[in-house]
Amino acid sequence: MKVKIKIDDNYQIFDYEGDLNISVITLLEKLDWPIEYSCSCLQGICGACAMVINSEPKLACKTFLNEEKTVIEDNQITIEPLSKFPLIKDLKVDRSILFDAMTECELWLENDSEYNPKDLDFEYEMSLCLMCGCCTEVCPNYKLGDFVGAPATVSASKLVNQESDEEHLKNMKKNIKKGFFHIVLNQFPVKMSVPWKSQPKEQFQK
Amino acid sequence: MVDIIVVGAGIAGLTASIKACDKGANVSLISSDYSERSQSVMAMGGINAALNTKGENDSTDQHFTDTLNGGCKINNEKAVEMLTSDAPQIIDWLERIGTSFSRDENGNVDMRNFGGQKKKRTVYAGSRTGKQIVSSLVSLCRKRETEGKIKRFVGYRFLSLIFTDENECCGINCIHEDTQELRSFIGDAVIIATGGYNSLFGKILGSTQNDGFATAKLFTQGVRLANLEMVQYHPTTVKTPQKRMFITEAARGEGGKLFVMKDGKPWYFMKDFYPELADLMPRDVVSRSIFKVSDGGKKDVYLDLTHLDEYTVKVKLDEVYEICEKYLNLNPLKTPIPIFPAVHYFMGGIQTDENHKTNIKGLYAAGECSCQYHGANRLGGNSLLGTVHGGWISAENAVLEKPKGNVINSIDEELESFKSYAPKDKSLQDTLSEISQIMNDSLGIYRNEGDLMAALDRLDNLDTNVNAKYYDYLKVKLLVILSKASILSALERKESRGAHQRTDYPESDDRYKKSICAMYDDENIVIE
Repeated sequence: MKVKIKIDDNYQIFDYEGDLNISVITLLEKLDWPIEYSCSCLQGICGACAMVINSEPKLACKTFLNEEKTVIEDNQITIEPLSKFPLIKDLKVDRSILFDAMTECELWLENDSEYNPKDLDFEYEMSLCLMCGCCTEVCPNYKLGDFVGAPATVSASKLVNQESDEEHLKNMKKNIKKGFFHIVLNQFPVKMSVPWKSQPKEQFQK
Repeated sequence: MVDIIVVGAGIAGLTASIKACDKGANVSLISSDYSERSQSVMAMGGINAALNTKGENDSTDQHFTDTLNGGCKINNEKAVEMLTSDAPQIIDWLERIGTSFSRDENGNVDMRNFGGQKKKRTVYAGSRTGKQIVSSLVSLCRKRETEGKIKRFVGYRFLSLIFTDENECCGINCIHEDTQELRSFIGDAVIIATGGYNSLFGKILGSTQNDGFATAKLFTQGVRLANLEMVQYHPTTVKTPQKRMFITEAARGEGGKLFVMKDGKPWYFMKDFYPELADLMPRDVVSRSIFKVSDGGKKDVYLDLTHLDEYTVKVKLDEVYEICEKYLNLNPLKTPIPIFPAVHYFMGGIQTDENHKTNIKGLYAAGECSCQYHGANRLGGNSLLGTVHGGWISAENAVLEKPKGNVINSIDEELESFKSYAPKDKSLQDTLSEISQIMNDSLGIYRNEGDLMAALDRLDNLDTNVNAKYYDYLKVKLLVILSKASILSALERKESRGAHQRTDYPESDDRYKKSICAMYDDENIVIE
């Protein structure tokens, strides 16, 4: 099969003959070429290996060749780096802006966490965000500007439940309003693309 | 003001950084990636603490005893005493900083059964306990960053320690993974929290980030290592096209049972072998039992969850369900899971005392890289506990350090080495695979002198001149040294204890009821 990889704005074509019941990350290891990419857990828990596979942002460790339509039908696959972040090299991008946005939004607790039984499942789920950046890839609002994107908002939605310091709660809400809802307004056009099971859209609307 | 350098941003590194700045220190937190990418997020099952809220008359004393028994009594007793008595306080702290632990019907943090313990003692957050703890620690760390007390440096790999002329540790040299920038960090003390040495065994259950470079480099710089032969095989791992993945012990804690087919029927062998704890025996015992009934891997062994209810499997064990569905195309509610033991955790590593001090003044280690709590076998749920506790205790002690000597600036030495390094043609991946093959061949569940000697010979003849970036080029050479130290430690322990089973010395021997230590002296590995 043909493996098309975007390297330095150009597409390089590699040939791969072998088992198709492998993930994209294993495919990258098997290519006889030193391609740079991020990885850590190799099982969909850490979010490091997010990349664009056949035009969709996905985790390379959870995307199997034999499940990709282009592989089954056309014997080829296209792999690109996430496009919304500065490129480091090959398929590796600098996602530090995602983390910086959380600092700018003051996403932490000033007081001890409050426990509300009815919110526990929601808080658990909001803590599962992988910070992979897949959701920003498909988000038309996300252009590395003032818009903080869904990851900061996911984290905030947990912390505003747990925070009892009124002043800080006000600040967090204000920051998220400014960095997220002010820009998204009422449109919310994005079909959220997250590799974990939650659908943040519904959660944010609560 | 004290300056502390923390290397590694998993749970141990985050806890150490937060606790050090709570004691008034400035912290430089150095890591190869963000905490969300650390191996800590992969910890599923839970964290042990004798909270005694289940009406089972549990106590920290029993936690202490179970931990020592699980570790076959070569744990550092003082360290275990502190670990187990501080555990309830740790849960309370994690709860207060926002960790979303699962709750029972009374609103208390819930606890489940885990191996080697008769009482429900394992606090959990669904089956993503590590991820939930990381999430709350990261929030708190972020606050300290904004206050200017913690400074994070992401993308840097540890290269070497920096010493004073009084042989105190006072800093580290690093290299940036992307820019190849070499950089020194100088402070009053260093806390190493770089995790286990996974790369010695190849693509194992944990993170690829935990490569063992730091442990191996420290060894060559005079840091004492201990119990390197104590490698934990997790009993229930599954083979996926990706790598082996583990099925959390919580699956057995919630009622999952192991079986092998015998005379056309499932034989739930653990109940026959060990009537009291059955499937919840310590991991070393369960792994050996699986090895035995499978005739060394020739017969399939299964973990049966089919009798459990849907809520338990899909909610309480959601990660197990997902691994089975995604990577095995199997519904564990309907089909038993084929499992086999695989390398999971390193009880050995940088030898530290109960205050997490190494043999070098000013140098501390915490988390999986440090060796003191777990002895010959770690109990499930004690690793997350040990990693928070280690971060906490190391920070409290490190902030008291003040080096007396003058800094010997070694960045020039690193620069010289960097400039003169000459990568050769040999493939990096092939060489790493050769090392892991040698280690897997010799340090399996059962070992013997012949295999260990053959491994030493193969390591001696391994060509390590690889074609790789500077860091990886150095890593290969260092991993060979650490591999040899592990093999020599296994040869030295002429007995069977916990995770170290010798077919040629099948009994435990009280003369070895101690740590086997390794030192590097004048380019020679010395085992004590």
